[in-house]
Amino acid sequence: MATASSSLTTSSMFTFPPTYSFPPFFSPQPNAQTRSAQLSKWSSLVQSYCRHHRIFKLLLSDALESPLFHNSKLKRRLSAHDAKAVVDYMTSKEGDNRAEWIGPATEKASAWIWWRRPEEWAGVLEAWVDGTGQKGTVLTLYELVEGEATESQEFHGMDMEVLRKSLGTLVKKGKAQVFGGEGQEGVKFF
Amino acid sequence: MFFKQIDLTTALRPSLISGEELLFVQDGVGLYEGKYKIPDCQQGYAYLTSLRVYYVDEKEPRKNSVAFDLREVEKTDYQAGFLKSSPKITFHPKLPRDGHQSVRLADGRIAVEEGSSSFPGSRANSPRRYSSLSSPLPPSNATWICPICSFSNPVPSNFDPSNANASIPLPPCLACGIKPPLAVVLKAAVAAASKRILPQHPDEEFSGNANSTIDDPVQTETTITCPRCTFHNHVSLPACEICGAPLRSEQQHYPMANGGSKPRRAESPGPQLAELNLDDNAELASVKISFRAGGDKTFYDRLKGAMTQRKWLLQSAPSIPSPLSPSTTGDLDNETGLARTPITRPASTPVGIAGLERRGLEMRKNNEVVIGTAFEDLEALMASAKDIVALAEKFAIDSGRNAAETSSVFSESAAALGMVTTKDKLNSGSDNLYLSELSRNLAEYLTDDRTGVLRAEGGVMSLVDLWAVFNRSRNGVELVSPLDFHKAADLWGRLNLPVRLRRFKSGLLVVQRSDWNDDKTVQQFKTWLGQLQQIAPAEEVHWEWSLFGRGVSAQETAQRFGWSVGVAIEELEMAEDKGVLCREEGIEGLKFWSNFLVEVGSDAE
Repeated sequence: MATASSSLTTSSMFTFPPTYSFPPFFSPQPNAQTRSAQLSKWSSLVQSYCRHHRIFKLLLSDALESPLFHNSKLKRRLSAHDAKAVVDYMTSKEGDNRAEWIGPATEKASAWIWWRRPEEWAGVLEAWVDGTGQKGTVLTLYELVEGEATESQEFHGMDMEVLRKSLGTLVKKGKAQVFGGEGQEGVKFF
Repeated sequence: MFFKQIDLTTALRPSLISGEELLFVQDGVGLYEGKYKIPDCQQGYAYLTSLRVYYVDEKEPRKNSVAFDLREVEKTDYQAGFLKSSPKITFHPKLPRDGHQSVRLADGRIAVEEGSSSFPGSRANSPRRYSSLSSPLPPSNATWICPICSFSNPVPSNFDPSNANASIPLPPCLACGIKPPLAVVLKAAVAAASKRILPQHPDEEFSGNANSTIDDPVQTETTITCPRCTFHNHVSLPACEICGAPLRSEQQHYPMANGGSKPRRAESPGPQLAELNLDDNAELASVKISFRAGGDKTFYDRLKGAMTQRKWLLQSAPSIPSPLSPSTTGDLDNETGLARTPITRPASTPVGIAGLERRGLEMRKNNEVVIGTAFEDLEALMASAKDIVALAEKFAIDSGRNAAETSSVFSESAAALGMVTTKDKLNSGSDNLYLSELSRNLAEYLTDDRTGVLRAEGGVMSLVDLWAVFNRSRNGVELVSPLDFHKAADLWGRLNLPVRLRRFKSGLLVVQRSDWNDDKTVQQFKTWLGQLQQIAPAEEVHWEWSLFGRGVSAQETAQRFGWSVGVAIEELEMAEDKGVLCREEGIEGLKFWSNFLVEVGSDAE
């Protein structure tokens, strides 16, 4: 989990949107309309950044130093307070529920960033399982995320928690079943 | 005595000549001519100055405002109010001083009068509707025959037989170009005037008794026969085509003289005239001002004061001779025998730098002398004023009178010294009038193009700044308290003056022109920031300046638009509220940018 959140090992550099170079982007706006526009832009920036770097869990203290919240070229950064406000916005309905705080709400230290929601992941998983004709077979979770067969897939290297969450949605829908002990879970798709 | 059209300032007050001093203002007055009300002039303000009396109408100030000069007033009467009629002050005009006095009465007739002012009872008996004719004064209809070529030339319209003397320029004859002797023109003018007067009295039998040899024009259905050359002219021609004799005789303007019905008596009380006649040539019998809201006593007192002082004579008086100043520089002595005022230059002007220096020296000496003499008296005055006011204060404290009495003592002492404040001029007690006059005064001061106060501040000025500047310009007298200032500023909107008070979100009050609104400011911002986008910034920046332009700080904005910094911040915040600008808080301070955050599609991915 820790590795995923701070990994920057990607092949290509992430291209920031032009707004990233707009200094007022980093200052909280008093005007309500401007503020909501600003927040939504931040939300999409965070999502695309995380998608590119395959970050599922955002640790705020680390993120403040990363290029995500800190534009060294422009010498502007988002303050901790403002970063929390951005993530709060993303957790809300307005922000499309793209984030979820981990742990008690009083200490907002890290959050899940749902650049793809668990339901959406479930759909991807299901599509792959269906496509490879593995319905009915039992797969371990480890195999799903780290197996060679899934290397080309998007969910390769996915965080275990996220996988579990998405499988959980499938279980609720009755499309899969999870069993097994800690560290060796298996899943069977119907 | 003539009514004159007046110039109103932007705040709809009369603009005074330099040297004219405002003595009193009163609202709720109406204007009468003779006995009759002048319509459209029944509700307005009367301004009394040292030279004139002005009437400014409340409803249509630019159309119905008039004035007349005090120098043309012979005497004034005061009439106290009785039952329903309000108190009135009557102004009787001066009569022209020669034997031939013709005064046009309110009913349009001309009465000839020698000496005494007994207007015949016929005037009171048959008041007529004032026909709005502008039948010219005697001279302009008269023609004089050139003694050389016998061509009939018109007498110039400004030729007044009563005031003519040898210095008046006479136009030469139109045919032969030779200037006539004065006597000829005089005779012609007088003859024409007397000829015109005679046919006017319908009740009398003058019409058959024509003194002149010239007959009146005869009018048939389609043509008029010229009295001089018997040519048949078209009915609508004013003068004969051949010889130029006037065709329109006054008879035609008074068809009633030829047996028409007796004019109706206007209904009382306060009979009205048909309209306000502002014709320069129309003389008035008398003018009355009716005071429907009080203030007549004070007005009358001030009026009497102004009439006795006769400030209008000062305008034509020669300048005060100043004492001989002994010349100290040796080379100006070509005219040592002459008395020199400090202002005149020496006759021999030395050339070169030495000359310039000497001139500068003289000017400085001049100034010294003038200022010195002026201030001697002023200091004496101020010293005694202070004493008296201090004395009054002491007495007040000693005898422990209450505040109202002490303030009355102050105002009395101030008035005794001639320091009349504006509050006194307005029958103090009527705060409203003081405030409305003050607010008009302020509006004039702001929109005055000579000083351009509002323009120098870029069109927007904070109220506090304006208060400071205004009081400073008063030079220590008649300062305005902040509360009065604020109240007067509030009245701008109500009085429809060209400036208005505007309140920002943070509570800052500013003064702005009425025709300027926020959208215009926003537009200005947009164009300015658009311009900045075109130009590369001075130092190396890390953002796409071609895309985003540049941020502006409040100081830059203030400098660009001429505002003060406080006003600039408010305007920027106002634009930010509208969503046109967005802010950036950085190490260098607060800057404002064009709002690219709300633009659609500016974000990749």
